[in-house]
Order: sequence, then structure tokens, then C-alpha cells
Amino acid sequence: MSLVFAALFVAGLGVLMVYSATQHRFEASPSFFMERQLLYVLLGLGAMAAAASIDYRIYRDHAHLVYGATVLLLVLVVSPLGSNRKGAQAWFQLGSFQLQPSEWAKVALIVCIAAYGAAHRGDLDGRRLIVLLGLAAVPMGLIELQPDLGTDLVFGAILLGTLLVAGARPRHMAALGLLAVLAVVAVFHFGLLKDYQRDRLTAFLDPKGDTQRSAYNLNQSKLAISHGGVTGQGLFKGTQTNLSYVPEQHTDFIFTVVGEELGLVGSGTLLALFAFLVWRIWRAAALAKDLTGTLICIGVLAMFVFQIFENVGMTMGIMPITGIPLPFMSYGGSATLAEFAAIGLVLNVHMRRFS
Amino acid sequence: MTAPVRAGDNARLRMGVLGMVVLSLFAALYARLWFLQVVANPESTRAVIINQVRVVPEEAPRGRILDRQGRIVVDNRVSEAVTINRVKFKNDVDTVTRLAALLQLPPAVLVNRMNDQRFSPYKPVPVAEDVPESVVVYLAEHRDEFPGVEAQQLTERAYPNGNLAAHLLGYVGEINDKELKGRKGEGYRLGDEIGKAGVEKSYEEFLRGAPGLTKLEVDSRGKVLQTLDSQPPEQGKDVQLTMDLDVQRLTEESLAQGIEAARHATDKEAKKNFLAPAGAAVVIDPRDGSVLAMASFPTFTPGDFVNGIKPDVFAALNEPASHYPLNNRALSGQYAPGSTFKLITALAGLKDGLLQPTTTVDDHGSLKVGNRLFRNAGNRSYGRVNLPQAITVSSDVYFYQLGANFWYRRGQVGDGIQNTAREMGLGQPTGVALDAEARGRVPDPDTRKRLHDRSPKAFPEGKWFAGDNVNLAIGQGETVVTPMQLANAYATFANGGTLYTPRVAARVVEQDGRPVKDLGADVVRKVDLSAGRGAILAGLRGAVADPKGTAHGAFLGFNGFPVAGKTGTAQVSGKQDTALFVAMAPADDPQFVVAVVMEEAGFGGSSAAPVARRILEGLAGKPPGPVQLAGGVD
Repeated sequence: MSLVFAALFVAGLGVLMVYSATQHRFEASPSFFMERQLLYVLLGLGAMAAAASIDYRIYRDHAHLVYGATVLLLVLVVSPLGSNRKGAQAWFQLGSFQLQPSEWAKVALIVCIAAYGAAHRGDLDGRRLIVLLGLAAVPMGLIELQPDLGTDLVFGAILLGTLLVAGARPRHMAALGLLAVLAVVAVFHFGLLKDYQRDRLTAFLDPKGDTQRSAYNLNQSKLAISHGGVTGQGLFKGTQTNLSYVPEQHTDFIFTVVGEELGLVGSGTLLALFAFLVWRIWRAAALAKDLTGTLICIGVLAMFVFQIFENVGMTMGIMPITGIPLPFMSYGGSATLAEFAAIGLVLNVHMRRFS
Repeated sequence: MTAPVRAGDNARLRMGVLGMVVLSLFAALYARLWFLQVVANPESTRAVIINQVRVVPEEAPRGRILDRQGRIVVDNRVSEAVTINRVKFKNDVDTVTRLAALLQLPPAVLVNRMNDQRFSPYKPVPVAEDVPESVVVYLAEHRDEFPGVEAQQLTERAYPNGNLAAHLLGYVGEINDKELKGRKGEGYRLGDEIGKAGVEKSYEEFLRGAPGLTKLEVDSRGKVLQTLDSQPPEQGKDVQLTMDLDVQRLTEESLAQGIEAARHATDKEAKKNFLAPAGAAVVIDPRDGSVLAMASFPTFTPGDFVNGIKPDVFAALNEPASHYPLNNRALSGQYAPGSTFKLITALAGLKDGLLQPTTTVDDHGSLKVGNRLFRNAGNRSYGRVNLPQAITVSSDVYFYQLGANFWYRRGQVGDGIQNTAREMGLGQPTGVALDAEARGRVPDPDTRKRLHDRSPKAFPEGKWFAGDNVNLAIGQGETVVTPMQLANAYATFANGGTLYTPRVAARVVEQDGRPVKDLGADVVRKVDLSAGRGAILAGLRGAVADPKGTAHGAFLGFNGFPVAGKTGTAQVSGKQDTALFVAMAPADDPQFVVAVVMEEAGFGGSSAAPVARRILEGLAGKPPGPVQLAGGVD
């Protein structure tokens, strides 16, 4: 249960930070975003309960259905049924809400990979590895059509983490690492990236190039965190925050609000909470009754760790800028729901460790 | 590896590896967090403050320029301008088209002005000045149709006397890169106004006010949240000139009339009318070097430079056919002085003992020096003349002889004529506080050699001969002076030997007249004129009063104060003669020195002296009549 409390605590802080980041943006309704995020957290609790209630072994046995449904959704979203925002075809518009299937796809993929890995009892030879990679490649390819490089990177992290524990051969892991490096080089070299993507990804390498929009944003982000100092500027008192100097501050750059307003004390505590959450998931993985349970927990762990490191690292200028939300903190319905559902899966495994 | 690897076998190890990776990632985040929030915090705090504060300067109105009597010569006036706030303005085709139609501007011009980089992005941009009242009212009534557009009052330079004293006053314009670099640390910014010429330029430090500074807190979009600190602009100080509006007007009118008259007179040698393209006149108070008037013809309108001069107007000002009105010929025009130089030659002769007031020369109309024959102008002969007579009739032979004597006695007296000329302020800038002053030239064997060595083609003769001294003595050859230098040299003679720096500004005052700074007279040097000054003065008075005097015809019927003066007619190769006249009055105790120089206008006595006469009439308190050219004498 401490897992749930940690997640709830972080989510509560997130709601507060979303309020701080957005109260000045819409003078007519300063709490608009906060209210919505609060709603998402409540819905998330529901999703968590739902994910926990049905035995994870039932998910495992119907993994092919989960996989099929996920792929279908991802196909639909890049079809004319989906809608385009900020240059990415990643949403279904439902009334005033946008649903982002790629967020749920992450959770679904965790289950599918775990199911496949467990089915082979940890014996992943080359052939099985390739099948597994192929299974992952289909949704990843569809997501790159949106395009959403950040989510694909999360997929990669999940895959890597699960493979490590699922028993992939060390030399295969090494080969995969090499392949990943080659892929990155190729992507840059052959101009597969749009200019703004390259710009964002490389801004952290050249922080002095402040003529670029991305570098400017990154500098403002680092400045906000640094401005917080040890004790912070005080809740709702961050000047960088109040004056909207940091872009996308209620979503991808939410950590800058924590950094500026709550300082090293606040952001250090937040990271500690995240570390605690991750430790509880790791422990659930270790105590799981079967390999499926372990791999589900490891998938969730890999997803969270990567998102935390990439997101927080990006705001502090040690990782490239990609559109990855900070779990339980960033404003966004689909992501919040998916993250709580992932916690639900871990609870699911942990509750049934004796049965 | 025959047995299948089971997860259980090394699951612990694999989980441990994963745990280590996770731990190190968190450690990295903590390390970075510590660096940013502890190590880099002081620097960031400074950067954040700079980030959020914008300083918006507001230009102060310039000080006014007043004449000698405190009358306003250059003023500021308030103009109704339409400004656009670039943040609030709805920049779409429809709004731009409607606004352009209202302001009667082409839409492209409106867009250009709106995007003009010289305006601060935090300040509304003026896109139209002097808009009619109806437009102001319309904008006020249709505010919502033109978001961000406002009618505002702006101050700009105004010239209540039109183009009077244009060269003296100069004009203002937008600061350029070079001026900006040269004035680092004085708080100038791109787009600021700065004096570009004349008094506006020389007294910039007083005329320019202290710009107002407003510190604003802004958000990332440049939206102003609050005013942190505001310091209102402070108008510049007034500069009171030595120039008298009445004398200036009189001088400009007289010069223009004289030039117009010369253009209608026939040049008997060239058998056509005089070209008379340009001229200059200067009135100085010899008692302290105050410039009472300074005129240069043709002239321009300083008001044309307000809000940036229009390209076609500027092009017209630089058209050769318009004779370059922007040139201030009183300071930058360099002319052969002709016989007006005889004052210098006479002073030099007396000082170096080559001449007594009673020394006579028998003037047969020509003098042979070496194997060259030098003639009087017009081949006249004056018989036996002493110094005063020689000045009155402007005998060239008398001064040829003197010039030749200087050459023969050069072992004892050196370059005596040149030395006196330099002592009297020729061949060097007078130092008047105005830009673009020429230095003139007083040639001697050394300068001749230097010029020749530097460019043998332009100056084929590198040696100095007796004949050069002869030419020098009557103000011909390579000698050139500016009208200001000429006036100042005569002023030095008039006041008994004090060479002043001509002064154009008397004092700096506050708007309410309280003094800020007194700009007193500035003595360059004292010149010893004790030897024979009376004889020279008698000769100069004779030039005006004596029936044989060269300016007698020009001053027929003049009944102001007694005038002393000297005519000059300088030959310029390839051009008609330059007419010159310098006068001092009242002759016994001179209060005014008037110098008139007219390009390609014939004899000094017939063209330039009548202009000076009219100015002196006005100075003497008589109603000045029209300029009438006199009979032809040198």
C-alpha cells in the first residue's frame, strides 16, 4: 500500500504544481488546469483499481487480444479519425478531452512482453528475441508515424529492462545496444528527423546557442530550477514560473516549478519519493510468484525510471529535449490514467504473490 | 551453453544489475540538481532579474537655441502622431489596409515603419506625424477597430524663422553607427536624435536632455506587468547665441540681393553675366570675437531634417546645379583673398622695418621683378603714393615692391609676410565651435616644396621665386582664406591686436533663464600692431571715403558711421573673379567687422562692397535700401 501512497503523494504535489504553472495563463479561470488534473488523478485511481482487480494471469492468457487492440488503436489514431495537435497525429478528440492511445500502449506492451517472455521461461534464444523485437516494432513504428519519438524511447527502455531480466543472452544485449547506437547515428545522419526535432535533441549539447528557440527554452528551464536555490522561492512565488518564462511548464517542464518554488529541499524530496516508488516496484518484482509477475513489474519499473530520468534530466540540461511526461506530475489525462493503471498492475502482481 | 538458461538461475544477479543502473541514474539527477541549485544559484538569481526587467528609455526634448537677445531661434513643437503598440496591434491585412487608408499612406510604407528596428519593442512606434485633428478624433471613437493604435503627442524640432541661420544652427538627425561608437558611455541608443551640424552638433552636450528611464517588469512574452521605477526625461539646456536675429536676417538678405544683382551684371572681360553661384558674409564684434551673423549662400531649410530628410530633398541638396547648399562657405569656403591681404603685407612691412608709413613708391602701372613684368589691375597708374594712399587706391605696384623687398631681405626677415599672416590667424582654423571648418593656406618656400614632393604632377614647381613673393603680397598665388578667417584677421586689426576665437554661443541657460554656464571670450594671442597702425587705418578709411578709394562708389551717400574697409578682387584660374570686401565700423572705435565674399561676381568694390554697405546701414540704425552694384574698381 505504501506504493499507492507514494504515487498519490506525488500526484497531489503534481496537482499543486500544475496550478502554480497555469494560474497566470488563463486569467478567467486560474484553476482550470488544476481541476482537470485533479479529475484525472481520481479517474486514475479508478483505473488503478480496475487494473489490480482482475488477476494478471488473465491478462497474460489474453495477451494476443491486448496486443491486437493496441495496434488497432494506434492505426486508427494515424488515420483520419485521429486529430492533429502541434504537428503530431496522436490524439482522439472526445468532446473537450483528448485521448492519447500511445500512453496506454506503453502499459499494454508491458503486459504483452511479459507474457511472451514468461511463456518461454526466461529462455530467449536469438529466434525468440527477434520475434519479441518484431512484436514491439509494430506499435513503435505506428507511433513514429505520429510522430512521437519520446514515447518510442520509452518503449525501447521497457524492452531493454524486460529483456535484461527475462534472460536475454548477454551478447544479444550487447548487440542490441550496438544496434541502438547505430540507429541513433543513422537517424541523425540520414535526415530522418525534422529540423525542430534535431534542434530539440541537440540543444542540451550547445546551451550557449541561445538564438535557437530550443536552447532559449532550455536555458530558461535550467534558470528556473537554479533560481530555486536550497529552499526555493516559495509556493506560487517562482518568478520564472509566474512570468511564464518556461515553455510547456504544466506538462513536460513541470519539474521546473518544483525546482524554482520548492528548491533543493522540495525537488530532492520529490526525487526521493520517486526512488521509493521505484524501490517498491523492484521489490514487488523480486517477490512475484511467477516470471510473468516479475516481468510486468520490471516493465513498469523501466518505464517509470526512464521517464523520470529523461524528463528531469531534460529540464536540467543533461538529457535531450523530448516530449515525455513526468509520471504523476505532468498535466495530462491519458498519461495520468496509464501511470495509475501501471501501478495497478504492480499491485495486482504483489497482491497475488502467494496465490 | 547446452543447458537452457533459466531466469531463476541468475535472476538475482540480473535484478541487481538493474537496481545498480537505477541507483546511478538517480545519483546523476541528484548531482545535477545540487550543481544547479547550490553551485549555480547566485549567478542564476542575477540572470533571472535581468530576464524580467526591461529598461525603456524616453528621449528628452532638446534645449532651445536663443539669439543674442534671448529670442527663440530653434524651438520644440508638439506633433500629433499616430503610434502602434506592436504587442497589441492586430497585424492582419484588413487592419493594416484600413489604417493605411485612414492615414493616407501606402500599406507597404505603414508596414515598413511598423517594423522599423530603430524603435524600442517596448514602446509604441510612431507611424505618422502631424496627422489632422479629424484622424485623431476618428481613432479615439473607433478604438476597438484599431487595437494598439493610438494618437500621441511627440515633440520635435521647430524653426520659427524658417531657414534663417541654417548653417549656423545646423540640424538634428538620427544617430548613426559611427556616432554611436564615438559616444560610448554617454547613454545614446539606436534611434536617438543627435545634432548633426552647426550649433546643434557643437553644443550637443547641453542641448541634449537627460533621457527618462522607466524600469518595467515584463513576462516572457514582453507583456508589461508593472512599473518598477520611473525617472521622467529632463529637457536639455537652452543655448544662447552671440548671433542677433536682426543682424542675421539683414546679412542674409543683403548677400542674397548682392548675388542676385551680380547675376544680372555683365562681366566685361568674359562678355557674359557673372555666374555668382555662391557667397558668404560674416559679421563679428571685434571687441570679443562674437559672431553677430554668419551667412552662406545658397542655403537650406533645417526643418527638412526633422523626422528624417526625404530622399528626394536630400538628393536635390547634393545636386551640382544647386551649388551644394549644405556647405557652410563662411567656414569651409577657401578663397584667394586678393587685395584684402594687403592689410597683412602692410603690417608685415611695418613690423619688419621694410616700410615706413611715409615710404613712397612711384607707381607707373607696373613693376619688373627679375625678368617678369607685374602690372596693376586694369593697367592703371597712380603716380607717387605713400602707404595710406596705396591702400586707398589699392596700388598693386606699391605692394609688389614690398613683396619683392621681402624676398631680397629674406636673410634678415625670413618669411615675414607669412609669419604676420599666421599671427593674424590665417592658415589655421579659427577654432570657432562649429564643424567643418577649413584651415586655409599661407604658402611659403617650405610648404611649396612639401606640396611638390607629395604630388609633383599637381604642383609641378617645387621652388619659390621672387615673383611668388610679389604675388603673395597682393593676396594671389596659393594663399587661400575662409571668410571667417578674413573677418577675424580684420577684427584683430580693428581691436588693436587681440586675436579672439570667434564665438557663436554666449551662454547656456535653463528654460527659465537661470544661467548654467557662461561661454566667455577666448583670446588666442596678442599681436603687436603698434608700428604704423594709424597709417593703415587712414588708408582703409580712404578706401571708403576718399573719391579715389576703391569702395567709394559703393558707399556714395552712406550716412551712417565712418567706415574703414578694403576691397579685394581675386583672380581664379578658369573662373570669374572672386569679389571681396572687409569693413570695420565705426572706424574710430570699431564695433562691427563685416566680411563679404562672393564667388564669380567681379570686382570687390562693385559687388561685395555694396552688400557690406547695406549690412552696415542696418547696423547703423538706418533703413537699408536695396543692394546696388557700384562702378568697376578693384
